[in-house]
Amino acid sequence: MKTFALACAAAVAILLGAVAPAAAQLHVDVTQGNIQPLPIAIPDFVGTQPSDAAAAANIASVVRADLERSGLFKPLDPKSFIDQIKSIDSPPQFQDWRIINAQALVTGQVAIQPDGRLRVDFRLWDVYGQTQMLGLQYFTTPEVWRRVAHIISDAIYQRITGEKGYFDTRIVFISETGPALHRVKRLAVMDEDGANPIFLTNGSYMVLTPRFNPTAQMIAYMSYYGNRPRVYLFDLETGRQQMLGNFPNMTFSPRFSPDGNKVIMSLEKDGNSDIYVMDLRNHALTRLTYNPAIDTSPCFSPDGKQITFESDRGGSQQVYVMNADGSDAHRISFGAGRAGTPVWSPRGDLIAFTKIAGGAFRVAVMHPDGSGERVITDGWQDEGPTWAPNGRVLMFTRTLRNGKGDQIWSVDVTGRNERRVVTPGNASDPAWSPLIQ
Amino acid sequence: MSQSQNRKRTRISAASLAGDRRSRLGLLGSVMLHGLVVATTFFSWQHSLEIADQSPPVVPVDLVTIADKTNIAPEVQQQPKIEPKLDAQTPELKSVPVPKVEMPPQQKAEVVPPPPKQASSEPLVKAKPAPVQPQMRPKPPAAEKKPAKFDVNSVLALLNKQQDQSTSSVHGKTGPQTHKGVGDQSAMTMDLVDALRNQVAQCWSPPVGAPNAADLVVDFDLFLNPDGSVAQPPQLTGGSQARASVSPYTRAAAEAARRAIYECAPYKLPANRYAQWREINPFHFDPRQMMGQ
Repeated sequence: MKTFALACAAAVAILLGAVAPAAAQLHVDVTQGNIQPLPIAIPDFVGTQPSDAAAAANIASVVRADLERSGLFKPLDPKSFIDQIKSIDSPPQFQDWRIINAQALVTGQVAIQPDGRLRVDFRLWDVYGQTQMLGLQYFTTPEVWRRVAHIISDAIYQRITGEKGYFDTRIVFISETGPALHRVKRLAVMDEDGANPIFLTNGSYMVLTPRFNPTAQMIAYMSYYGNRPRVYLFDLETGRQQMLGNFPNMTFSPRFSPDGNKVIMSLEKDGNSDIYVMDLRNHALTRLTYNPAIDTSPCFSPDGKQITFESDRGGSQQVYVMNADGSDAHRISFGAGRAGTPVWSPRGDLIAFTKIAGGAFRVAVMHPDGSGERVITDGWQDEGPTWAPNGRVLMFTRTLRNGKGDQIWSVDVTGRNERRVVTPGNASDPAWSPLIQ
Repeated sequence: MSQSQNRKRTRISAASLAGDRRSRLGLLGSVMLHGLVVATTFFSWQHSLEIADQSPPVVPVDLVTIADKTNIAPEVQQQPKIEPKLDAQTPELKSVPVPKVEMPPQQKAEVVPPPPKQASSEPLVKAKPAPVQPQMRPKPPAAEKKPAKFDVNSVLALLNKQQDQSTSSVHGKTGPQTHKGVGDQSAMTMDLVDALRNQVAQCWSPPVGAPNAADLVVDFDLFLNPDGSVAQPPQLTGGSQARASVSPYTRAAAEAARRAIYECAPYKLPANRYAQWREINPFHFDPRQMMGQ
């Protein structure tokens, strides 16, 4: 009897165990977030000698400014720092950085080497994970400390966001000075943050639409030199300029191919303009469009297999795409209003263009098949977009009302972080260089 | 026939007549009683059916209530325009007759190994194994402020600044949504799921600039302590680890989600139901809706 009772109790226990729920695991889907810039602490770099202190502080200052300008980072005020970094070779006191809500920390060190070179080390720390995310070391000449700072900014940006940075780049643009009726337009170039601006032409003739080649050493642009509007090439290394070809009629709207071996441009003849491509190695010219309409503003896709351009062949100014040999031209912009000045993103996923509707000019983007059109600026007259080399940010010309001139602005491809680019005076027609090699 | 026999026959007839009368009364009484029983049973049964018909469905009401309370309503904030003060920052323009571009020397980047950990710099927060027994933990410093409430759909709202009304408005509030729960316990744990989702969403800022939004989807296995703090470093699961090792976008997305998990802890959840939220797996982060993909 006792054995029978024990067997019954065991059976009940087994049954209860079988019907009891398994260990609970909650399944949580998070699909909405809170887009905020990442709080990052960047104390002044450590100078190994008192004479290095200025360079150490300057480099940290440029890195802070670069990251803040991107809109993706929020550099914290150095006055709030509790932990004082005295050496980058010992781990930081992470709890001191968590208290001020820093999620990432950059520590750096600057030292002049016995051979006169500048050595810059930096480390990027994950404050929550308490781990080093990145550690790099650079050697250079002390005069180019700003470039080192931009390179460090690019490295941090890439490590945190997963995409390449764009701070070690240059901008070529048209500098505008003087009254509206007698405006002097000069070719100029500067660093991406507005530093080191330099005039390339003296303003005695008008210049328009400058574009970098893939090595950022050559600029193609349109010049009215000698009252003959033609496409020119400017070699930044030698300062040498040369007219591209010798055509009886106007050439304009040039742009390099992705490999830098060709220039695609418009050539006007008898009031009609078509698109041509010139091979810079042998100066062979190939005509790509044969249409009585105006075809202009051509731009290669990043793989060089396609070309986007604007044309009024359908009755109004719209954006088209064709193969690199001129075949299969088809319209891709079908939104309200007109569309022009298309530029293919360096990563190939989008085409930026100027959308003209309701009396306003706006910068917009769409996929190469014309889908997903989005307007990303909201100025009165925004036009002429150019892509950062990572395809994440755009610059464009913003014309102010009442003849107050032009300015260069930048905006994230999502439409966030719209801000003015620092230029010496008014400026227009920016073109972003690739990352400096 | 004798007189006594006649009397006897008469008594028998009278008795049989009285017996007939009694049996009729009994039959009538029996019929009435049976009718009463049947009527009582019928009315009682009908009444119970009416009650059953009028009872409200419990589960749908609960789900609607949860969704109304906990779904995040989108808000729209105007993106501030940032215009630098040019007076102080405008650099001096150097006019160079013959442009000369300075070419910096080739720079070398060398990987710096992390410094050796010192005994004095031992981290305060240690990774702990999966909690088995409830422990009380001190709360994090009060200075760790949660970020201000922000428009969760602002990325979508900002994706198109055109005032064209022909497209669907991104500025309107979306209606309440119900979220699919997990298995048989969905009704029991829906409030926990919503509570966790809403808390961590305030801290989650995914890198939404990636060209392929699918690269940013990551799954974690997370263990929590009874006080809502993170019990041990959250682990990537479901192939996320492999993708993060080859894709810088996935790695950045995983790190952003991990930062959010830490930043929003400790989570406010009912302590008496700790067994239900002790482990979150998968803790699924998917920003594709935010990116319009």
